[in-house]
Amino acid sequence: MPARARARVTWAGGVVGAVIVVVAVAATAGAAWAQAGDAGAGKAVYERKCASCHGEKGDGQGPAADLLQPAPRDFTRGAYKIRSTADKTPTDRDLFDVVTHGMPGTSMPPWAVLPEKERWNLVAYLKDFAPETFKAAPKTLELPKEVASSPGSIKRGREMFEAIECNKCHGNQGRADGPSRAELKDDWGHPIRPADLTKPWSFRGGMSRTAIATRIAAGVLGTPMPSFMDSVEKPEDVWHLTNYILSLSPGAPRYATLVTVASLAGPIPDDPAADLWTKLAPDTIALMGQVIQDPRNFNPSVDMVAVRAVYNDKEIAFHLTWNDPTPSAGDGARTFPDAVSLQFPPKPSGGPERPYFLMGDASDGVYLLRWENGKGVGEATANGPAKLVPIAGSEAKGIAVFADGQYRLVIKRPLVSKDDTRPTFQPGVFTPVAFQAWDGGAGEAGTRMSLTSWYYLRLEEPESNRRFVLPPVVAILTLAAMLLVVRVAQMRS
Amino acid sequence: MRKMLVVFVALTAIAGAALFAYHPAGAQGGGTIEASVTYAGAPVVEKLKVNKDTQQCGTEAVIEKVLVGANKGLANAVVAVTGAKGAAKVVKAEIDQHGCKFVPHVVAMPPGAIDIKNSDGILHNIHTYSTANSSINKAQPKFKKVMTEKFDKPEFIKVTCDVHSWMLGWIAVMPSPFFGVSDASGAARIENVPPGKYKLDVWHETLGKQTKDVEVKAGQTVKVAIEMKK
Repeated sequence: MPARARARVTWAGGVVGAVIVVVAVAATAGAAWAQAGDAGAGKAVYERKCASCHGEKGDGQGPAADLLQPAPRDFTRGAYKIRSTADKTPTDRDLFDVVTHGMPGTSMPPWAVLPEKERWNLVAYLKDFAPETFKAAPKTLELPKEVASSPGSIKRGREMFEAIECNKCHGNQGRADGPSRAELKDDWGHPIRPADLTKPWSFRGGMSRTAIATRIAAGVLGTPMPSFMDSVEKPEDVWHLTNYILSLSPGAPRYATLVTVASLAGPIPDDPAADLWTKLAPDTIALMGQVIQDPRNFNPSVDMVAVRAVYNDKEIAFHLTWNDPTPSAGDGARTFPDAVSLQFPPKPSGGPERPYFLMGDASDGVYLLRWENGKGVGEATANGPAKLVPIAGSEAKGIAVFADGQYRLVIKRPLVSKDDTRPTFQPGVFTPVAFQAWDGGAGEAGTRMSLTSWYYLRLEEPESNRRFVLPPVVAILTLAAMLLVVRVAQMRS
Repeated sequence: MRKMLVVFVALTAIAGAALFAYHPAGAQGGGTIEASVTYAGAPVVEKLKVNKDTQQCGTEAVIEKVLVGANKGLANAVVAVTGAKGAAKVVKAEIDQHGCKFVPHVVAMPPGAIDIKNSDGILHNIHTYSTANSSINKAQPKFKKVMTEKFDKPEFIKVTCDVHSWMLGWIAVMPSPFFGVSDASGAARIENVPPGKYKLDVWHETLGKQTKDVEVKAGQTVKVAIEMKK
């Protein structure tokens, strides 16, 4: 067409030329959003990689769909959660990014393993499922000029957070515990959870500053999250909100593999809010849903717990912090008591052999320090999740507090055990430890839990002068040995 | 560019048509329809305990899915004349969020703009479910007293608020300018209908649709009884 058009310019006047230029510019602008993916080639990739969840017809009814929550996207509706646009139509780049990076916190994995060309082909094919949506060019979302994070901006963000009542769903501290949480449904009528703003790494569209500002401005289509572009006091408030939201988290979870128990000279405070605990840096442990034994837990509520631990000459104490948007003592039918436990082998120094991490088995039991909402703290032994036996005359004690979607708990126990059902904690020894958590308000109980496999904890050696004495002694002895070796060698020769 | 030109021309045309339509050609010598909508079944009213904003919402939310008044009168049914030419008196449509309810529960309007008010002074979000028009989901925080939205295509649009999940309303975008919504006694009145034989369409959110024939004569009032069934 441009060739023919140019031919026309030669005999026609400048007016026609100008019109053609305009048309050509419009065509180029259009080409910018329509990336050159090949839908036919995309179909083959789709059927191989996507159809088992999203369905052959793209209707979200693949054979695996019933097992997934959130449900796989129905492409025929043309409603996409993650858009960088002001209306319903996403850009090709938006679709490409979701294919590439996946949707954190859902069953949609990142497909960066596929060659880039194949991903663009997929995008072209996905668009074919909802031609209506993609008939018009996407409407660009104009974000205001970026505002860098600063204490002032974060403060303004908090004010706006309160003024526009983000807390209704996301909670006062952003822990997804707002009063409307239980009522939320997506456009298909499936229950949906608000995002926990203190865990930006779980944000569906990514945690970049632009991604967060875009979600606030444009909303998340098909979900209760509305567009706030025209509903903040000043447009730049979306950046202040972004800065505030990012100030709620450490940026990355920085998961630990070793729990360090600090040595303390004085008494250990019982109060989970005591100064000592806030001063200690936590070791953050990731928890997974229990999917080995029935009934399984594919969508665990508690996905991490921050652990702080100290000991003195008499006691050892664990301070656990975890988010729970639905505090519950349990009604026994749909909800159960919230609970958490720390698991140890009964004899920690029993060599490399450890009991089965899933609360032990018939032959090898585990020892648990356990807290349950309503019952408080106690000790127990277990031979599997179904065989949990509280230890009579528990020596453990502790206090839990709950505020704004977060539990903080202190569990204490004597350092030395009186019998062999429970471990004795010794400085310098790598002691296996595992964690379990139940969000009873979300219906978790029994095997429906989050858990870890075995980690280690280590009691720091108390500070002593040994480190100043031992190394020089070792050095002198080594030197002496070397001299001796040299001497012997010389004598032989 | 070209697209913008097309849009501009279209807008000019619409504006011109609207100006022209303001002269109520068919209003003179029109007739009146008095529709009486009834339902013999039981009312469907769901109640829910409220866990937030109780100052504005009260402690119990009432979802009125089927509201039956005296003499089986069915409220919130949209009655519309299909096929009548001409224009009725144009009043800008309005829906308010008051007491954590959409007031009115059903608002009927010609294609165009509607003012969405928030007199509660707390966060609501306007979440529409539509196919012909684009769905919207816009936050309306306490300081945003009025939002204006456009619905250009005829459709019955469900409106919800995700913050208060019991809130349910309907915006009926009507193709013909002759429509009414039944009141608590089931009565709906449509005035200045040009004389002629028409279909009278009745719609209710849970009881579905019905159609009746109606003949309007100049200067006269015609009564139509409609019994909705499940």
